[in-house]
Amino acid sequence: MAQLELIHISKSFNEMTAVQDFNLAVEAGEFISFLGPSGCGKTTTLRMVAGFEIPTSGVIQLDGMDLTPLPPNRRNMGMVFQSYALFPNMTAAQNVGYGLRVAGKPRVEIEQRVIEMLDLIQMHDFAERYPNQLSGGQQQRLALARALAIKPRVLLLDEPLSALDAKIRLELRQEIRRIQRQLGITTIYVTHDQEEALSLSDRIVIMRRGVIEQVGTPQQIYNFPASDFVAEFVGHINLLPVEVVQADAGVVRLGSQVVRAGQFGHLNGRPVRLAVRPEELKAGSVEGANNLTGMIESVTYLGAIVRIRVDVDGQLVSLDMFNERSLEIPVVGQPFHVNFPVEACWLTNGVKN
Amino acid sequence: MKKKNNPWAIFWAVLAMLYFFVPMLGTFIFSLRMKRGVLSFLAYQSVLSDANFLRSFRYSATMGVVTVIVSVVLLLPSVYWIYIKAPKMKPVMEIISILPFVIPVIVLVFGLIRTFGRPPFQLTLSSFGTDVLIAAGYVIISMPYMYRAIDVGMRSMDVRTLTEAAQNLGSNWFQVLTLVILPNLRIAILSGALICFATVMGELILGDFLVRPALGSYMAGVGRSKAYEPAALAIISYGLTWLCLGLIQYFSRGRSQQQLTGR
Repeated sequence: MAQLELIHISKSFNEMTAVQDFNLAVEAGEFISFLGPSGCGKTTTLRMVAGFEIPTSGVIQLDGMDLTPLPPNRRNMGMVFQSYALFPNMTAAQNVGYGLRVAGKPRVEIEQRVIEMLDLIQMHDFAERYPNQLSGGQQQRLALARALAIKPRVLLLDEPLSALDAKIRLELRQEIRRIQRQLGITTIYVTHDQEEALSLSDRIVIMRRGVIEQVGTPQQIYNFPASDFVAEFVGHINLLPVEVVQADAGVVRLGSQVVRAGQFGHLNGRPVRLAVRPEELKAGSVEGANNLTGMIESVTYLGAIVRIRVDVDGQLVSLDMFNERSLEIPVVGQPFHVNFPVEACWLTNGVKN
Repeated sequence: MKKKNNPWAIFWAVLAMLYFFVPMLGTFIFSLRMKRGVLSFLAYQSVLSDANFLRSFRYSATMGVVTVIVSVVLLLPSVYWIYIKAPKMKPVMEIISILPFVIPVIVLVFGLIRTFGRPPFQLTLSSFGTDVLIAAGYVIISMPYMYRAIDVGMRSMDVRTLTEAAQNLGSNWFQVLTLVILPNLRIAILSGALICFATVMGELILGDFLVRPALGSYMAGVGRSKAYEPAALAIISYGLTWLCLGLIQYFSRGRSQQQLTGR
């Protein structure tokens, strides 16, 4: 049985619906990310799990027990906030020990646990520092240790890395995953950063306007997006208007060039678009694959990747090439051939699959 | 900031200082002239040995402490509650908090006497009842200062998130207030308390009309009947106020290390 279950959760603030009919079962030890643009309801959902917001309807269960009526201080969930929220009047050690102190645990036990936690985040040398004497990354690690010190049943992270700079963010991301694996703690991670979600999660919940768009593993989300929104929100994608030539075989026309799609549903009257990720496209022509010919419109050199946009009969098609030292960067205005396998693309008519 | 000081700025600064300090200096010198022909601290001796002075000083100091405690107990949870649960009430609270500036104390004191001096309260019948009334009056008069101080303190930290963090770790409301919010507001509350205290020590009208031995009333009485002692008293009360200000400065600077925000 799932450890944490959100059953038909809805939340409205006055007239506005923030979350609508949210259903999710989280297995013990699982790392789940809520991913979506701002205002999609991901933080509200997390706050309902923590007990800071009360669902307008629905039930939240932990190990089969209804959590909904419990106040936040009796839910035993560890939460990490975007703004760290360390207590400025307490040292690092006191911050970590706070949860045990208010629980009335004996002094020896608190001290022991604090040492254990500071070791876990490799900050034992900073025990006597105050939060303002620590860097942002150290503060957030401390906040993580503080949340874990109470041995929470679920760890909740609300955009914990958003306030940090890129390099620290990457380091801390790996550290969070390491600690989560080491402790095997069920974790919900809220983020608007797709890279974080893809790299950390066992499963990702994509949300939009308070509704779940898709739940799946990072690979499922990326390779088999359930909607155009998911496809566009996670990673880059070409969504090219096409004309249907043969609906039952998935044959379409892009401008004057014929393309065969690997995956297509029932194509009713709505306009159809061809979806393909830029990294699936290769330069040159290959027999048996979809081949397109066009003119290079722009070239963007991004270091590891070179992003090329090709004008194919008036449609701009993006393709990503990996950088190599020997790579000859194509020149704008030149004719250019691209190919992609039939299985790499699919047809969409904007209706959720 | 390397710009040379504007001579006009210095001129006005000196003028303002003269305006402020010359009368004080005059008062001080005058207070030393009780004994004809020599400068002495006789007036101070006379004041400090007056049993009435000590009595009223003690009374006002006690009232000051009571006022501070009641103000904190009353305002801290209220302001906190507004920050957490009813941020929309903030403008209303701001207006309420400056009412004591707008309504003259004389109106307040008559209102208090008329309302609470009559049945069913009849608080003015006993000295304890009157003390309750006067303390309540002081709390109202000093509310703007205390409210501002607490408000500024709360503004400098992320009250809501700190509260949520504390709750999340298992604290109840009382623990949140006493272990997290209050310690981080210590300096704000301390400075509010000192202003409160100074206000009560110098307050005249409440003590006068409720006929309690407040320091303000005593000073006014002495001013009517004596010549040199009031000057000495004025200097003493100045000194007291300045001491309070100095303490505020000291505490808000010396401990700034710990006055951190949760951000």
